[in-house]
Amino acid sequence: MGRLVLRRLGATVPVLLLVTAGVFLLLHLTPGDPIDVMMAESVDATVKEHLRRELGLDRPLHEQYAAWMGRLLRGDLGRSIRNGEPVIENVSRRLRPSLELALCAMAISLVVAFPVGIVSAVRRNTTIDRAGATFALFGICMPNFLLALLLIFFFGVTLRWLPISGYTDPLEEPWNGLRSLALPAVTLGLALAAVVTRTLRSSLLEALAEDYVRTARAKGLSEWRVIWSHVLKNALIPVVTVLGLQLGTLIGGAVITEYVFALPGVGRLVVDAVFARDYPLVQGVVLLIALGFIVSNLIVDVLYGWIDPRIRSR
Amino acid sequence: MAGSIPGSDLAEGAAGLPRPAAEPVRARRWKVLRRAARARLAPLGAAVTLLAVLVALAAPLLAPYDPLAQDLGDTLARPGRPHLLGTDNVGRDVLSRVIWGTRVSLVAGLVSVALAVLAGSLLGILAGYCGGRVDGLVMRLMDAVLSFPPLVLALALGAVLGAGLTGVLVALGVVYTPTFARLMRGQVLTITARDYVDAARALGAPGWRIAWRHVVPNAINPIIVQASLSVAFAILAEASLSFLGLGIQPPQASWGSMINAGRGYLQQAPWIVFGPGGALFVTVVGLSFVGDAVRDALDPRTRE
Repeated sequence: MGRLVLRRLGATVPVLLLVTAGVFLLLHLTPGDPIDVMMAESVDATVKEHLRRELGLDRPLHEQYAAWMGRLLRGDLGRSIRNGEPVIENVSRRLRPSLELALCAMAISLVVAFPVGIVSAVRRNTTIDRAGATFALFGICMPNFLLALLLIFFFGVTLRWLPISGYTDPLEEPWNGLRSLALPAVTLGLALAAVVTRTLRSSLLEALAEDYVRTARAKGLSEWRVIWSHVLKNALIPVVTVLGLQLGTLIGGAVITEYVFALPGVGRLVVDAVFARDYPLVQGVVLLIALGFIVSNLIVDVLYGWIDPRIRSR
Repeated sequence: MAGSIPGSDLAEGAAGLPRPAAEPVRARRWKVLRRAARARLAPLGAAVTLLAVLVALAAPLLAPYDPLAQDLGDTLARPGRPHLLGTDNVGRDVLSRVIWGTRVSLVAGLVSVALAVLAGSLLGILAGYCGGRVDGLVMRLMDAVLSFPPLVLALALGAVLGAGLTGVLVALGVVYTPTFARLMRGQVLTITARDYVDAARALGAPGWRIAWRHVVPNAINPIIVQASLSVAFAILAEASLSFLGLGIQPPQASWGSMINAGRGYLQQAPWIVFGPGGALFVTVVGLSFVGDAVRDALDPRTRE
């Protein structure tokens, strides 16, 4: 198990180097002078020169990269040019709403996907199964910003049950906090639920056809016991795979969801930074998101080894 | 919601239809098409896709109004006559804008995936063929691209490339490239290990000829499958970027930017959002049916 972790970490190093290089070069992809893009024309030339020097844009590229990497290794991701605060502080202030949103969405998706997936597989080719398949199709093809607006339209504008934007911290005001997260979490969770339902259904069907299921039935176990203690466990691996694969989509979905519902999370920060042309902030946040993504993928990989011993030895 | 889409059980859908009798040997292409059509949802998907293509091509003829013409005397008009889908907050005809937006969506979906197929296939062939350091470098580079959540990467690239269709096409092209590079590399590795490639090499065929005559034709099926599945997602991605304000810039009509602009009028005029929203959803569903059908037809693992 330790070897698996080490090997995976080793493979990550070159990728990390390329990722940082890519984020560094991002600023230099701008057509024209990045300083001119970031600041209005009316801004004083000396202010522009100052920013140019601060960002090191007056030096050769390799020196800039070396300096940037040096600061990065010391944990300095640069400063936002809008509010002058370090990127880290900007992000850490926004982290909590994003994590709460992700957790709630994950919970909703599993609560929906497991019953629907299991029933669809057990009652294969019945109306329930078809309804489940329609739901999955709907969830996969529905753009989440459209789903968000549908939910706002029904539950916020028409029925007036739930708040349609803004954020209350559930740790401070549990009831209002959960209410403010309800629509965003459903928006984000439903698409994930659709994918998990599909995967769970097909992997359950595969597991149900195995010999050990016949053995379990033959020894007189109830159908419920067969599903619960023999089939479900073996059907979980593809679900973990899919959850891992969906992480990127989940993060992208969170960006859009936070934007629609005006949640002050990291995703909203990316969009705001992009539109403020605050490139140092864009670079910093994108790099942090990529790091988070890489770490989560590592965790998923290690989780595999834990669930399925066969992978450990490979 | 149940049963709103007939026969959504794609895999088992063919069971109720009469089995086609053993047919005389025909061209391979026909078999593939027939297999694709046997899935019950495929014709529906194909019809929707065809309709979208026709609407995109004939947009100037079909649109009842100028998509950019404002009529401040007739804003937020309800759907009906003379505006079938109503008007938006500055009195533009929503239907006409939806029709013109079809062009943007289809172009975005097709061109970005085409870019990714081209770049990814070339990189994959390069990696698979050269092996060694080139392989390592190319594939680590692809891993690095995959280390970013797709939408975040597209946002960052779009930010520096500038808003507009070109920026979005390039950004999405980059995002989808690694998938095709990995696929192509895997194909090249399996195919170059086959006997007929050894035979060709023994006969003295140069490397590029082996690549073009033997590797590419045999590797193309998975690429086609992946490409057809990717178009729907690329259309969704373009709409998302335009929704966030990065893609097509107003006043030009694109579904994503129309939906974003209509957000503030959800209460008074929901049709501004749900007109283009419906078009987007139907198009994506149609395209994914086509993608599934292509996969079922070409992927030997899902064949009966």
